[in-house]
Amino acid sequence: MAAVAAAVKPTKKRRSFAPKYPAWLTLPSLLYYGIFFLGPMAILAVFSVSLQSGFGSVEYTFDTGQFAQVNDSLYISVFERTLLMAATGSLVTIAVGYPLAYWMARYLSTYKMLALLLVIVPFWTSFLIRTYALKIILDSHGYLAQDLGIDILYTKYAVGVGLVYNYLPLFILPVFASLERMDWTLIEAATDLGARPLTAFKDITLRLTLPGVVTGGLLVFIPMCGEYIIPNILGGGKFEFVGNIIGDTFGDAQNWPFGSALSISLMAALSVFVVIYIMFATREEQFGA
Amino acid sequence: MTDAPRDHLKILAPRSMRPKFDYLHREVQDLAGTPMSRRAALGLGGLAILAAACGGSTNAGGGGNGASQPADALKGKPMEDQLVIYNWSEYDDPSTYKKFAQLPDEAAAGLKTHETYYSSNDELLAKLHAGGTGYDIVVPSQNAVGELIQEGGLMKLDFNLIPNIKNLDPKFRKSSFDQTGEYHVIKDFGITMFFYQNTVVKPSTEPKTMKDFYDLLVPNVSKGRTNVLDGAEEVVPLAAMALGYSANTADQGELDDTQKFLLSIRKGVTTVSSFGYINDASAGKIILSQGWNGDVRRILKARKKQGDITAVLPNEKSEVWADSWCIPATAPHPVAAHAWINFLLEPTTAVTEMNYHSYPIPIPAALDQMPADFKNDPLFNVPASYTDNYEYILNPNPQLVNARTKIYQQFKAA
Repeated sequence: MAAVAAAVKPTKKRRSFAPKYPAWLTLPSLLYYGIFFLGPMAILAVFSVSLQSGFGSVEYTFDTGQFAQVNDSLYISVFERTLLMAATGSLVTIAVGYPLAYWMARYLSTYKMLALLLVIVPFWTSFLIRTYALKIILDSHGYLAQDLGIDILYTKYAVGVGLVYNYLPLFILPVFASLERMDWTLIEAATDLGARPLTAFKDITLRLTLPGVVTGGLLVFIPMCGEYIIPNILGGGKFEFVGNIIGDTFGDAQNWPFGSALSISLMAALSVFVVIYIMFATREEQFGA
Repeated sequence: MTDAPRDHLKILAPRSMRPKFDYLHREVQDLAGTPMSRRAALGLGGLAILAAACGGSTNAGGGGNGASQPADALKGKPMEDQLVIYNWSEYDDPSTYKKFAQLPDEAAAGLKTHETYYSSNDELLAKLHAGGTGYDIVVPSQNAVGELIQEGGLMKLDFNLIPNIKNLDPKFRKSSFDQTGEYHVIKDFGITMFFYQNTVVKPSTEPKTMKDFYDLLVPNVSKGRTNVLDGAEEVVPLAAMALGYSANTADQGELDDTQKFLLSIRKGVTTVSSFGYINDASAGKIILSQGWNGDVRRILKARKKQGDITAVLPNEKSEVWADSWCIPATAPHPVAAHAWINFLLEPTTAVTEMNYHSYPIPIPAALDQMPADFKNDPLFNVPASYTDNYEYILNPNPQLVNARTKIYQQFKAA
């Protein structure tokens, strides 16, 4: 800010392009962010290098032993399972969400906003209630199981269905926005020049919306990795995600340092994907798909 | 009892967090038509604690040490005008609070009762560890009582202020979790048993022990949903007891055996859940499950027409649990707290309470007054011939609890 102000001054123009609002106005937001996001993160980081002393209490020190404990076949396998489930869930979400977003953006005009509303409506209901509703649908005494023979409640497939269902709108919205901004005349031009529909889709539509797909995919992948409720309710309490392991460690074991170390490890594993996300997000901005 | 080391970090959970989680939980349970059982902690318990930990602030003081206080420190102190109870939700008859406030001393003091709720012992402990003060009465289960005594978190009770203690069955005065009996007065107790749908599960010989229950899991899981009770402190000790070990065994060899055994029956388990099983079993959706006696009683009632539930009180070892009235060391209104405990030991109060929550209170004069369908029901009035073999599941030390949790996680993640 100072540099801008300094650069503007010598021109002696009365009209300034410097920000009209003083920087301290961002203070409330920064404060909020600091207290409710960075603060707990700092506490978690401090816990993760501390030692457990008695139940639910912590002895301050610097000890990386908690992280050594994370490197255990049990936790590694739960991490792998979580990442695999979230990756599969994200791919299915893309497979289901992309055609829907494409159809909405390209072929709907009058009912476009209505369709968008229908995608968003489930968000007005609590996440927990939607998951319970899914449990009723998937129940082995329900229509799906009795009439169609799809009896998957309390299996990993039910967890997968829950993941895709709950996060689908989060994927559709950014991809829809990305498709909405697309210039469809490009497709017309390509077909005029002899491109077959599939080639036009592959070389133009997909290419232009790919950053949107990747950001949307990661936007659902990351919260899926941190999922706690869906595996608990739809997996019958025996399909553990990292979130459930962390919950058990804080709750049942009252071992806060180890629980913190697990949380930090999960965040570290996910930060790789966050970096990919940031790279694509900035690229999307550059090309303005 | 030593003072807590100074470098202990106490986390203060935002009080506003709990009611919101509770409210949401209750709403969902209502919507789903799932009545909550008294010990029904939704998996959200852990989440709430996480949230509490994340919103933490440090509190170097708190805790306190009740052990050093002389037992008659409250002699002659006047009744306070407040009583703050931290309890499981819907665990006491609403009329009990009203009647208590109308007692002569309490009415003269203008006493008002406030109550907030928790849904798991973890949550109660997290709140108290965080230096949560201001509670006069808490209702921890046996393992939490033991833990709180170890930490100096409870006040020694002044039994001069609890003359009605004479009504309590003397067998229940002392216990393995409070060997001197100075810190708790039992509120009610129950046991862990199992049941099966006899139209689906047809064992060749009548199952009699908890080991028999586990052995039925694998052969029957293809016929319908099987369930074991959730929580590291249930899954591991119950399996250890089925193998004939102590519930609180810390022996590495015995723990290894328990783990192996649990992994061997893992493929026979559809769900690991302690809540919602009443409703699901009442709807005929569970064919084989563990359960707490009060809950199994409700399931039997709900399936009376079909008559397809066989409930089994295990011979040999199983769990007996107890919830107790305790006063935190930092209680601001200890006289009122003692008066409350004393009132709850009144046989007439106990009768009202038992009719409300359906768990036995070991007050012989009150049990005698219970209707026949309670008194003569072994699932309510569990015969001592069974409970004599049962054990309390305790949390002796963090090491054992960590080991249990890891076995539990291995069991669930398998």
